[in-house]
Amino acid sequence: MSAERVSVLFWLTVGLISIYGSIHLGLGTLREPGSGFLSFLAGCFICLMAMIVFFRSFLSGERFHVKISTLWEGLRWHRPITIGLLTLGYILALERIGFLLSGFLLLFVVLKGVENLSWRKALLIPFSTLGVSYLLFHFILKATLPKGIFGF
Amino acid sequence: MDFSSNLIAGLSVTLQPLNLTFCFLGVFIGTLIGVLPGIGPVGTMAILLPATYGIPPTTAIIMLAGIYYGAQYGGSTTSILVNIPGEAASVVTCLDGYQMALKGRAGPALGIAAFGSFIAGTFAVIGLQALAPPLVSIALRFGPPEYFSLMTLGLVILTYLAQKSIVKALMMAAVGILLGTIGLDTMTGMPRFTFNLPDLLDGVGLAPLAMGLFGVSEILLNVERKIKLEILTTKVKGILPTVGDWAQSIWAILRGTGIGFFLGILPGGGAVLSSFVAYAVEKRLSRHPANFGKGAIEGVAAPEAANNSAAQAAFIPLLTLGIPANVVMAILLGALMIHNITPGPLLVKEHPDLFWGVISSMYMGNALLLVLNLPLIGLWIQLLRVPYAILFPLILFVCLIGSYVINNSTVDVALMLLFGVVGYLMRKFEYEPAPLVLAYVLTPLLENALRQSLILSGGSFTIFFARPISSGCLILAAVLMMTSILPFIRKRREKILAEEEEDA
Repeated sequence: MSAERVSVLFWLTVGLISIYGSIHLGLGTLREPGSGFLSFLAGCFICLMAMIVFFRSFLSGERFHVKISTLWEGLRWHRPITIGLLTLGYILALERIGFLLSGFLLLFVVLKGVENLSWRKALLIPFSTLGVSYLLFHFILKATLPKGIFGF
Repeated sequence: MDFSSNLIAGLSVTLQPLNLTFCFLGVFIGTLIGVLPGIGPVGTMAILLPATYGIPPTTAIIMLAGIYYGAQYGGSTTSILVNIPGEAASVVTCLDGYQMALKGRAGPALGIAAFGSFIAGTFAVIGLQALAPPLVSIALRFGPPEYFSLMTLGLVILTYLAQKSIVKALMMAAVGILLGTIGLDTMTGMPRFTFNLPDLLDGVGLAPLAMGLFGVSEILLNVERKIKLEILTTKVKGILPTVGDWAQSIWAILRGTGIGFFLGILPGGGAVLSSFVAYAVEKRLSRHPANFGKGAIEGVAAPEAANNSAAQAAFIPLLTLGIPANVVMAILLGALMIHNITPGPLLVKEHPDLFWGVISSMYMGNALLLVLNLPLIGLWIQLLRVPYAILFPLILFVCLIGSYVINNSTVDVALMLLFGVVGYLMRKFEYEPAPLVLAYVLTPLLENALRQSLILSGGSFTIFFARPISSGCLILAAVLMMTSILPFIRKRREKILAEEEEDA
């Protein structure tokens, strides 16, 4: 299936969910629009635009027939997935093990594991980054950073 | 108050040590991110939004504004030295700037870009100061129908200028409106699309949304590719342009200033469009058009003047009408609302220190940028040598912490990552994030204006056409949408965009 049609199906689903949810919220009347009024209009508009793009995808023209796999052809597609998963791991660990440890692990794994930098750089950069960011966020901006189970 | 009184009042705010410090910080960071590819002013402003919570609103806006117009200065450095625009508005500068650098004239190219930006910025701020009071008096006559129509026009113009598909851009604007409705309805108090999550009662935060769509998605896109910058190794010398350079450039700078100023005011217009138009005008007016693309100094002077002038002019609709002209202004609008300040015609009356302080800070900012950009060129060149492999983890980390400290909640961080992935996929499938963010920021104002208008009119949509300003805006919006759909005009537009892409 072409990339265009797949994306359209996604947005069409978003539009339909929005329409359904808006009706549930209540559209009100034109004299007194309800909570779901604007989101209903937005949902209808999304569906309309999605249909236009969908029908347009049947026209001739190279860009309408690009397959999904082509979008990642020749690219290192596993890297964004890796970075995304590492970031997710960081989010889950942040309040459990604390800002300093989770930040260090994230930066170290990315710099050494993903980018394969030298040990010196992979250790020095996280230490200095965490030091500067702790100084900036904790002492200067007075932000509360999570300490985690280890107390730091 | 007259022009000079307003200027003095503004300078008295700008010259306070805190404001001066943050003005410097803003333009420095702006130049830095303008130089470094991989993150732009929108992502940076979103990252620094939480950092502004602890400082006064005037100071916060001065800093954020400095980042925006500072990025226009910085973007020219990479365009000239590396042939990669550090900022979208500097794409056109690559055409002649890099050619000048190859001929050993990187110094004059950088110099004329900096001086041209300074002259343009200064004139634009004077124009801003002169235009703002009369615009405010006109805007005071605006009611809900005018606001609704003007915001609709702004969204349509922004989508009309979309680089890819207009239909997709319109769709993204609608998605932005949908996102903007998440949270409590301000009129009825009913939760909307919160999925029973308490963290969503206040809606989706602007910072996680913008950081995700512009910061994280950019990182995810860039890590797929091998980014290698070929930096010009010749030493940059002779930064001050010669008399001959000035003679060739001065009219280009002045024309670029005018073009940038008028295009920057238009909702949906901005620095990117004005730089393209200024370049095209100079090429058309030149006695030697064949020189363009081969190192014509006017080809650097005009777009750089235009993009900086547009960056300053874009503040006019925000500060006077409360309507952001582009997505950067949308972030600033969000920042003002976070500080409980509603921009609009009453801003000058209720917060004159902020209004005139921000405008006056731009004089100071432009002067600081001239000082920063010329002597520190060596520093910016060194920064360009930092591998992206080191840069992107740092940018990612700052995004993560920035989104966490907003509410001390990992939900915001998770939302940022989610929007980062969504933004990555959006760009892959050629959907633009800018209309989404602009629509998202406008939604609370848009919805209030729509509902109030319908209540006033007893449910009739004719109220939007019965009032001249409102009907004018809607008719113009309809004309733009029709012209985008009509095949022969659409093909012409696509051809022009393709030619510009090819040139760049």
